[in-house]
Order: sequence, then C-alpha cells, then structure tokens
Amino acid sequence: MSADPRRAKLEAQILAWMGDAEWRLDDSRFQSLALELFAYQFEHCEPYRKFCEHHGSVPTRVDSWEEIPAVPTGAFKELRLACFPPERTRHVFRTSGTSTQQRGTLHLDSLELYEASLLDNFSRQLLPDLESGQRLRIEVLAPSPQEMPDSSLSHMFDVAIRELGTPDSSFAVRDGHLQLDALRERLAADVRRGEPILVCGTAFAFVHLLDALGSDPLQLPSGSRAMETGGFKGKSRVIPREELHAEVESVLGIPTARIVNQYGMTELGSQFYDSLLSDPTGIPRKLEAPWTRVRVLDPISGKAAAPGEIGSVRIFDLANTGSVCAIQTADLGRRVAGGFEILGREEGAEARGCSVAADLLLSEGAS
Amino acid sequence: MSAEHIGRQLESLRAAGQWLRERPLEEILERLEVVLEGWRDPHSPWRDQLQRRLPQATGFAPETVRHGTDLALRDWTGKALREVVAAELGGLHPGDASPRVQPFSTTAVILAGSIPMPTLLAMLTPLLLRSPVLAKPASRDPVTPELVVRSVAQVDPWLGECLALAEVPERDARCTRALLEADCVVATGSDEALAGIHASLPEGHHWVAHGHRLSIAVLGEEATGSQHLQEVAPGLALDTALWDQLGCLSPIAVYVVGGGREACQRTAGALAAALEDAEARWPSGRIPLEVAAQRNHEIEVARMRAASGSEVSLHLGSAQRWALVCENDARPRNAPLHRFLRVHPVEDLTALEDTLQPLAPHLAGVAMAGFGSASADTERRLRALGASHVCAPGQLQTPPLGWRRDGRPLLLTMARFEGSETVSHAGRETAT
Repeated sequence: MSADPRRAKLEAQILAWMGDAEWRLDDSRFQSLALELFAYQFEHCEPYRKFCEHHGSVPTRVDSWEEIPAVPTGAFKELRLACFPPERTRHVFRTSGTSTQQRGTLHLDSLELYEASLLDNFSRQLLPDLESGQRLRIEVLAPSPQEMPDSSLSHMFDVAIRELGTPDSSFAVRDGHLQLDALRERLAADVRRGEPILVCGTAFAFVHLLDALGSDPLQLPSGSRAMETGGFKGKSRVIPREELHAEVESVLGIPTARIVNQYGMTELGSQFYDSLLSDPTGIPRKLEAPWTRVRVLDPISGKAAAPGEIGSVRIFDLANTGSVCAIQTADLGRRVAGGFEILGREEGAEARGCSVAADLLLSEGAS
Repeated sequence: MSAEHIGRQLESLRAAGQWLRERPLEEILERLEVVLEGWRDPHSPWRDQLQRRLPQATGFAPETVRHGTDLALRDWTGKALREVVAAELGGLHPGDASPRVQPFSTTAVILAGSIPMPTLLAMLTPLLLRSPVLAKPASRDPVTPELVVRSVAQVDPWLGECLALAEVPERDARCTRALLEADCVVATGSDEALAGIHASLPEGHHWVAHGHRLSIAVLGEEATGSQHLQEVAPGLALDTALWDQLGCLSPIAVYVVGGGREACQRTAGALAAALEDAEARWPSGRIPLEVAAQRNHEIEVARMRAASGSEVSLHLGSAQRWALVCENDARPRNAPLHRFLRVHPVEDLTALEDTLQPLAPHLAGVAMAGFGSASADTERRLRALGASHVCAPGQLQTPPLGWRRDGRPLLLTMARFEGSETVSHAGRETAT
C-alpha cells in the first residue's frame, strides 16, 4: 500500500472492490473512485498535471470519468509518470526493446494493488473451474523474473505461479531460449499423469514450441488450457491468431475454445482476457474487470465510436494508482455487447509501404 | 486461382521464354525502350489509365499520383535504360551481348506497396535478362501490374507472352509454393514477409529481396538560414508529400546538423509552411484508421512532452492532414508515415553518424543540403552508412533509372552467370 495516506485510503477501497466474490460493474462506484484518483494524480504527477492543464481538463472541470485526460502510452517512454518521489520506487517495469530503443517505464512504489488486480483477473478468466484453494501446474513460455526483472509479464506469471500454481510449475525460457528438451519432458509427464495444466506465454514463444513439436504432437490432458499474449514484432514466423490457436489445438491437444488471448501492457496494472473460459456460452469478447473501463474513440473526431464501430482504445484502470489511470493506446478495437474486441493490424499483413517506422526497425531483435 | 493454375502459368512462360532466349539483347532492349517511352508519353493511354485508376485503388489523391508519376518518369528514358544495360551487362552488339548471363527459365516477381514506379521497373527488368516474368501484384496496387502487362503486349505480343500475373490468395501456402517454383524470385515487402517467403524457397533458387527501408534529410548550417530554407523546404515538403510518405525514399526525419535549437526551430517553421503549401497542391490521400490512431498518439505524446517543459514543438496542418514535431534530441522515434515528419537537432556529422548507426542497415535515401565545401565528405559518410540515393531536397522521389537500390545493381542482382552458383541477394553491398 502507498505510504501516502490519501492514496492508501483510495487503494483500500479499490482493493476491497477487487476482493468482491462476484464481478459487478458498479458505475457510480467507478465514477467516484476514478474522479478522486484523477484529482490525486493531477496533484502528484507533475507532467500529467501540465498535460491536463494544456487540455483545460483540471479536476474542477472534469465531471465524469470519461472526461479524464488520457496519457498516450508513448509518453511512458519519455517522462517519469509517477505520483511519488524516485526514492520511493520499489519496482520498475519496462516495455520490450533493444539497447538502442527508449523503453516505456512504469514506476511502482507498491505491488499490492498491481498483484491483487492481476491475480483476480487471472484466476477468474483462466481458472474459473478450479475449486477454492485448488492449484494446477502452470508452464510458462517466457523468462522468469530472475532473468528479466523489469518484465511485467514475467512478474505476472511469477505471481500466478506463486499463488495459483503447483510447486512443479515452471518457466521454460532460459538465457533467451525455450529449453525445448526439458519442456518436452515436462509436457510428456503431464500427458502421463493425466492432470490438466495451463500453458501460457507470448505468442511468438508458442510459435517456437509448435515448430519444435510439429512432427511430434502431444495430447495434453482434458481440461488443459492455454493463454497467449503479445505480438510477433521481429520474432519467429508470423501467423494470424486464429491459425496460431488452430496449431496449438493440433500440436498440444488444447481445444481452441480453451485458448485465451490476453490483452495487456506494461503501462497498466490490469489485464483483459477473452471470455472463453469464464463465459463459454456467451459471445466471445474481452472482459473488463469492474475497476477498469475501456472506451473506443473515433481517432479522427475523438468522440466515442458507436457500438461495433472501430476506433482507438482508451483504458481507465483504477489499479494504476501510482501513475496515471487513463491511458490512450494506439490500438484499434470496438465495443461489443458486454465487452470489447482488439483489432490489431493483422500479423503478416502487407506493409503500408516499403518505408517503415524507425521504431519498428529498432525493435528488431528485441526481446 | 489454384496452385495448379500457377504451375501451368509457369509452364507457359518457360515455353515463351524460349523465344526470349533466342532474341538478341539489342532487340529486347529496343522493345522495352518503346514500352518505357510509351509510359513517358504524357498522352500514353497506360499512363492516363494509371493516373485515373490508381487513386481509387490506393487512396492517393489524383494530384499526387499525377505529379509523382510525371516526375518519376521524366528521366526514365529509353536512353537511360540503354545506358544501364550497357553499364551492367556490357556490349550490345549481336554476339557479344552479355554472353555470360545464363537466363533463368522464369522469374517470379512478388510486389508490395502501392507506388507504381518500382512495380514498373521490377516487372520489366528480368526481361532484359531474357527471363519471363510471373508477377504477383500487391494487394494495395492491382492497377499498375495489369497496365504494365498490357503495355508490353501492345508493343510486342511475343514479348507480352513472356509476362503474366499470378493471383495468389492472401496466405495461400500452396499457391505461394507454386509461385516459388520459378527459379529466380524477386520479392519486395516487410522483413517478416520476406523471411516467410525465403523459408519456403526451394533450395538452389535465386533469391533477391528488397525489405523495409527508410529515408531521411540532412541539412547543414548553410541550408538552415532563413533565406536558404525558402529554397530547401519546398523540396523536402515535396519529397514528403509524394506517395504520402509511403515509399522507401520518403523522408521520415530531417536532421539539422549544427546551428543548435534555433536552426532546428527555423527549419521546422519553414517546413511546416512548405507542407501546408504542398497539401494545397498535392492533397494527402486516404488515411487508414490505424494510421489516424497512431498519428493522434504521437501528436499527444509530443503535446505532453511540450507541456511538461521539453523543448519540443508541434506543427499541425489543417484537419491534421500533416504533422511535424520539432524534437529536442536526435533519438529516432516512431514515424506513423502519411506526412508525419520529425525535425531533429544534431551537433555535428559524427553525432549524426552515431545516431544513424542503428538505422544504417535500413537506410535508402538521403536528401542533403547546406554543407558547402564539406558536401563531398558528407555524401561519402552518408553512403558509407548505407545510403544508396543521396540527392538534393526535392529529388528523393526521382532516383535515376539505374539507382542501385539497397546498394545493388539493377540488373546484375537478378543475373546468373554460366558456370556460377546461384546466390541470394538479401543483404547490402557496400555502396559506391
């Protein structure tokens, strides 16, 4: 919890919400907490305050959470967006990138809210069928936090293993490479044991695994599930998400109905998951935790896009108490009944031209 | 179209190639000179159709297509083509015409992007090496390849038999593999797409790849005085506006070498005015939603940096049709294209070299001005970094016909010589 009593009080309320047995989208609760958090962040995060003033959106003039000015994710590469002094920083997460790239940085003075948000989401969306206290083996196709201490993804998996995984859960990436032989042995043991597991990791790590196992497919035990996240930027071969899921089904024996995509980013304290496991009979969509909201805006007019219309995705996340709760992404998405969809540029799609963003070129080889 | 159909197309082209291989180079060259001159003719039906149909297909404004093609074709004369052939393949008299070149039975040309000039050249040049061409049009430009095929067939029906288009459905692995049965494959596209194609290429097939590239402008102190900027800025605005910054020769950043913050701001101001003028003459085209989202994102980042005290300024065109960020450092940043330019200060040429080093493998063109007596040395250093087209502002989009794209010769890259092994050309030669 934050050392600042005002923020600590807010965090206690948000934590209490995260502790609710059922998810409940309480608009007035969100409104009240979001406006209070905005006022706090306006006061304590100087670059954000100046940005808000530039837009003429100061707390006294902002009446609803939709009006809270959103910080573009790219600003995390340029500015320290934190509501506490540097000496209170306890943890730093950075976006992926190479040594020549400026990387987005999230400064945290407390991990309590961050971990509470990720755990609630993780367990509800990936393990909804587990009894209270029940654990399952988690195989992570990503490096451990010991190897990548500034990776928010590695941290998330580590927390998930600590709180929800069995002791034989494992990170399969070491020294930047999938340890295929050991991984193959562990998965074969899972098949023999017949107990379901969760395989999770980055999309490109799945591709490496599929390529390695291609001629020797496995049938993981019934009830197993997979979670993949992230893109393919500069990595391995590039395949559309639907094809990736079909290959996971064919090579690992996990049905596509049990393969969940996670939408998350370093700059956020909360993540968004496909509804496939928590609402298997509903329309597939990304779900918002009650302490988050997603708006889809027309990038030309800046106004809210109509339901079903494509626009840029803006996220409001109350778990971001120590930085900024309103984040503008460059991702495209659309609202659908009960949630939203993300529509990134189709992986492998033809480039718009032969020119390319310098940022993308610099990211080649990024881990 | 099925994989079998593509296989049959390659078979037909191999048969037609027999005629091609029996022709003297001089004869083929003469025909292609006529084709090229036909395209250069302002009253050419092909050029007319291209200028009428391409805007609808690609989203470019008609004025942009017209001015872009007019400028690019201006110096692409039959004579220029003859000079390239002479320089790369040697003598043109019967009997001594490039005797060492052993034609590939077929060349597959995989096209990308929406700019017509590279497509025109990519489809015609293998014919000079007496290899028939099966071209896969880019999804963003179905117009140019069709017109190129028709223009060649009109000039010479026999030569027209040596050029065909393959319809390869998106991500159809069978059709792609069928196309790659051509024994020479020339492909343009994203580095990821090229890696995917290369992985499917049968062993021993000749491979020529043109991946992602970018271009920049570099201005010395003699170009950034107020008076000189009036001459330089319109040229850079033209380089940026043409093809809506989607070409590998479109500048994404301007580096102001020396002169400090003031020179950078002066340059940004002059460029902003020139971009607005360019917008009036050659309006920007359709902006895809994802680009609009990225542009807004970058604009907001610039606003936030400026608001928080960074020495960054933002210039926007009406309705944000173009955007320019005057940076406070030289660090490369995201470039959403579609007329989004950054102006960076850099202390001197050594600092510029350090800045560009990470981008060097992808560097294509540099518009350069204002270095006075140091011009030759500056150009040498830029070429050493990897720039293959160094020119004055306003000339980035009009490379000579024989431009050594990626530092490689236009024709010889696709040539196989008697007694030699086939090679891959995916890297970059040292530019000369």
